Amino acid sequence: MGNYILELHNLTKRFPGVTALDQVQFQLKPGEIHALVGENGAGKSTLIKIITGVYQPDQGQILLNGEPVSFAGPINAQQAGIAAIYQDPTTFVELSIAENVFMGHPILHPKSKRINWQAMHNTTKKLLQELELDIDPDTPMKFLNVAERQLIEIAKALSLHSKILIMDEPTSALTIQETKRLFDIINRLRASGVAIVFISHRLDEVFELADRVTVLRDGKYIGTHNINEVTVDKVIQMMVGRPMHEMYPKTTIEPGPELFRVENLTRHGDFFNISFSLRRGEILGIAGLVGAGRTELAEAIFGITRFNQGTIWLDQKELKVRSPHDALSAGIAYLPEDRQRCGLVLPMNIASNVTLSILETFKYRLLNKPQECLIAQQFVDKLDIRTSGIMQLVRNLSGGNQQKVVLAKWMATKPRVLILDEPTKGIDVQAKTAVYGLINNLAAEGLGIILISSELPEVICMSDRILVMHEGEIAAEFERGQVTQEQILQAAIGRRQLEADVS
Amino acid sequence: MRTKLMVVAVVLFVCLVMTVSVSAQNYTIAMVVKGAGNPFFEACRKGGEEAAAELGFNFIFQAPEIPTAEGQIAIIDALIAQRVDAILVSANDPDALVPVLKRAMDRGIKVVAFDSGVAPAGRHLFLNQADMELIGRIQVQLLADMIDYEGEIAVLSAASTMANQNTWIEWMKEELKLSKYEKMKLVSIVYGDDLREKSYTEALGLFRAYPNLRGIISPTTVGVAATARALEDQGLSGKIALTGLGLPSEMAEYIRNGTSEAIALWNPIDLGYVSSYMAHALLTGQIKGASGETVNVGRMGERTIVQTADGGLEVILGAPFVFDKDNIDEWYQVY
Amino acid sequence: MVQLTPQKRQLLLRTVTRRETSLLIFTLALIIAVSIHSPRFFSVTNFNDILLNAAILAIASIGQMMVVITGGIDLSVGSGLALSGMLVGLIYKNDYALNPFLALLLGALIGLALGSINGLLVSKAGVPPIIATLGTMSIYRGLIFIISKGKWVSAHEMPDMFIHLARGHILGIPNLIFITIFFYGIFFYFLTHLKSGREIYAVGGNAEAARIAGINVDRIKYAVYTMSGFLYGLCGVLWVSRFASAQSDSATGFEFSTVTAIVIGGVSVFGGTGRITGVLIGAILISIVENALSVTQISPFWQLAIQGFIILLAVVMDAVMKNRDRKTVVRGQQV
Repeated sequence: MGNYILELHNLTKRFPGVTALDQVQFQLKPGEIHALVGENGAGKSTLIKIITGVYQPDQGQILLNGEPVSFAGPINAQQAGIAAIYQDPTTFVELSIAENVFMGHPILHPKSKRINWQAMHNTTKKLLQELELDIDPDTPMKFLNVAERQLIEIAKALSLHSKILIMDEPTSALTIQETKRLFDIINRLRASGVAIVFISHRLDEVFELADRVTVLRDGKYIGTHNINEVTVDKVIQMMVGRPMHEMYPKTTIEPGPELFRVENLTRHGDFFNISFSLRRGEILGIAGLVGAGRTELAEAIFGITRFNQGTIWLDQKELKVRSPHDALSAGIAYLPEDRQRCGLVLPMNIASNVTLSILETFKYRLLNKPQECLIAQQFVDKLDIRTSGIMQLVRNLSGGNQQKVVLAKWMATKPRVLILDEPTKGIDVQAKTAVYGLINNLAAEGLGIILISSELPEVICMSDRILVMHEGEIAAEFERGQVTQEQILQAAIGRRQLEADVS
Repeated sequence: MRTKLMVVAVVLFVCLVMTVSVSAQNYTIAMVVKGAGNPFFEACRKGGEEAAAELGFNFIFQAPEIPTAEGQIAIIDALIAQRVDAILVSANDPDALVPVLKRAMDRGIKVVAFDSGVAPAGRHLFLNQADMELIGRIQVQLLADMIDYEGEIAVLSAASTMANQNTWIEWMKEELKLSKYEKMKLVSIVYGDDLREKSYTEALGLFRAYPNLRGIISPTTVGVAATARALEDQGLSGKIALTGLGLPSEMAEYIRNGTSEAIALWNPIDLGYVSSYMAHALLTGQIKGASGETVNVGRMGERTIVQTADGGLEVILGAPFVFDKDNIDEWYQVY
Repeated sequence: MVQLTPQKRQLLLRTVTRRETSLLIFTLALIIAVSIHSPRFFSVTNFNDILLNAAILAIASIGQMMVVITGGIDLSVGSGLALSGMLVGLIYKNDYALNPFLALLLGALIGLALGSINGLLVSKAGVPPIIATLGTMSIYRGLIFIISKGKWVSAHEMPDMFIHLARGHILGIPNLIFITIFFYGIFFYFLTHLKSGREIYAVGGNAEAARIAGINVDRIKYAVYTMSGFLYGLCGVLWVSRFASAQSDSATGFEFSTVTAIVIGGVSVFGGTGRITGVLIGAILISIVENALSVTQISPFWQLAIQGFIILLAVVMDAVMKNRDRKTVVRGQQV
């Protein structure tokens, strides 16, 4: 013991129907960068939320500087010197930088207890200088970009004299230069003795930055290693827990004739001159960084938004899509990325959700209850949705089962083209494998599938062909089996930009 | 420099306008009533307009959309800003309006209350539609005749804060103390808030709670009409007698078919007419507003200012008028 | 009383009747408590009164319910109701012998037009519902004053056959109750068995997901305000017939009674959930409380507070039961 600033022993956290963390260990030394890796649903966010006091563990112990502690809420963790920085910083956009930095702990005049604006301004200025950020502390937050907002969060942590800094996917929305600058700052913080928990999907970043790495899988602790004692492959194997081909059960289907095509699709500011074609039974992966325009493209094809120019073709006929209704009638279905916001009607039951987009097909527009139940039950069986019955509210289902309900809704429309946007985001490993199986079955039935995903192994292993988007354009196209994660990433971050950096 | 000039110019202009308006002796008198869309006050307005035509002043009529003191305060504030010369007011609350009316009087605006008065501190004069005592007593007398001086009776009033209803009810109780009413018993007073549905529900409640009820007095126009309707719906016309203060137009149907044999009311046209004359007399200096003075009220002749029990000054319009089967046809078209 | 057939699947029974059972239990407890305190409350005629009083509120609440399920609110219910009632009243005042049932239809069509203005504002112009209907609430109320010139339409100006609309019977059932049952039947079927009904829930539950599922969200929003208008327009005619009076301040604040009824009935103010059976019980419960307060002759000063307390109690009791229920569901999952 002794030399750890934070220790978590046998931490267990259960949610209705799922054990998010199961006897997890974690130790953090002062002045180290400790990477926390694992797949979506491995339990990283739950662990973070326990450290920051958002959740309380069901079992286990938290030691801070060797003393057992329990945080009743985030404020307690903050007071204990723990700060967290998220990929999408939670700031008050209308308030100034100084107000954001000192939100919750303003500097007061010692006697009158008035807010000491001058001191806050000056302190913030000093902090910003330390972070090499040349902005006036009175600038409203809304004029800052994401990278700058993250630095403000760091400034806030420094103003609190935090000894532990948790960074959750801090680079996912940053450019290369911004990432570099962030890493410089993180390294300087480490040198000053701050302990940093660094969470990232990008293993190259982990290996560049971290001193040690801890791997979680399915809520379980897998192991901790010094970074120079392991390889990327070893870490991946720890994360996945099984050989790649078992995780991604891609079956080979001989694609049929061309089914769907887009030509020169453009919406100013979002995507430009996108052309591709899709064959029956083909799975077309689209990779790219957040903000590359993938979701925007999908929404335009599905008629949620408009595009400025270009054409869409289905079965060699041009398609005019003005609304999702048009797209659905033509045989295009779209599984949106944010299933809670765009996919499900949470207060409704499973049956109502499944039949939501096929209400028109019922005779005379009458809801035929027995028929509805029949359809819903079929999908519950087919997709193996774990539920007490089709009358259960989808609100009470787990993430994976919710995603299956959304899939069932689109499958019920009997689409020809299915666009899947991050179909396995936030669901557990078993559910993922089940979803992959379903995608395979649908392809085998002759559907054309467009698979948008940020998980590179998923895109690589499931797709017949992969498009990589970068800043709204198709940067590269790869055939199945001829591509590595490295190559996709290179294309996704813009190879030219890298070269420019080097020179 | 330029802004200074502007200010001076504006001030000069305002002074000019004010002098012109004062020198023309063209008074503006505003009438503020309890709530918009009440035929009773529409009749008061008619009287005010009649007086305006005879005396040659500008007449403004204003009413809050819902009968509340707050709404009236906002209106009076606006009238002060407009610098009207006199305000005639029927108050929704006798005390709540006092501060704003005081402010008006401080600015030299004459305040005459009518129909529903305000406390003396908030007015120069009050036009009493009839002696409060008389109104209270006459309703008991009307009902007593209908039920042969015997049985349980109840009162269905407006809101529990309404000044004149409460005073009338006090006088009804006084009247009931007389020995000839010893077989009559006031069992309940309920409040319909001058809302149609609430008054109706309260009337039903009275029928249920007092199976032996013989008569109801409802000293408010909405209440008496709603009670009549409830009596008919329940088939109780003729079994429970009804009187009160009601508009002839609202009550014509029920008086003709006997649901209510008779109701009382003063003439609201006269009310608006006389109060306008009083305000005008105050403005011209014909009266100072002291006890014992006589005021000329046009076609109504003359009235004398008297001291009231609460220390204020008032003028009494006259005795209330009784509407029954014999005369209703003459009146229901009027108001 | 609702008769539950034990043959129905247990699951269905649980989901369909949960809110309603807790409300019914509360309502029954209330009836028993009031009846013990005041035995006169417990009579066929009194229950008849209660249902009659609940009828108009119950019908108008269906419209409010559909609007709230889509995540909106209709504040123009009260003034739209009064406007349609006044228009129909004025038709009779001008001696047009309109068949009462045609009058109902006409009122409903007037309401339909008023509601469709709300619908256009919300769905096409994108005005937030609370702002849009707040605006039309005042506009409609103002229109009443304009078209009626502040005057009432009284009983003697309406033909007997119209006044009897609210008093008559069809097949031994009072017209008001018959009409209520009729519309509850239609809208129950609409909301549970028709595509558009289901889409209303989907739009309120998650407008974005509904849009992506191919539902025309704007059309649904337009439709609910229009249907709400249709219903309150109809209620306006019933109101005028029931009270035999069209008054410019009729039904002021009635929109809040409808919101209260639907919230008691289990409609989520956040949209997405709520059943029509619950709304019916909610409206009846409000009527029971009003009637009971009146029949038991509780001091009027206490009535408002008691009314609010009982309504809160009903909702809290349901929340507590639901909470317990949710816990058992979670436990059930873990086992």
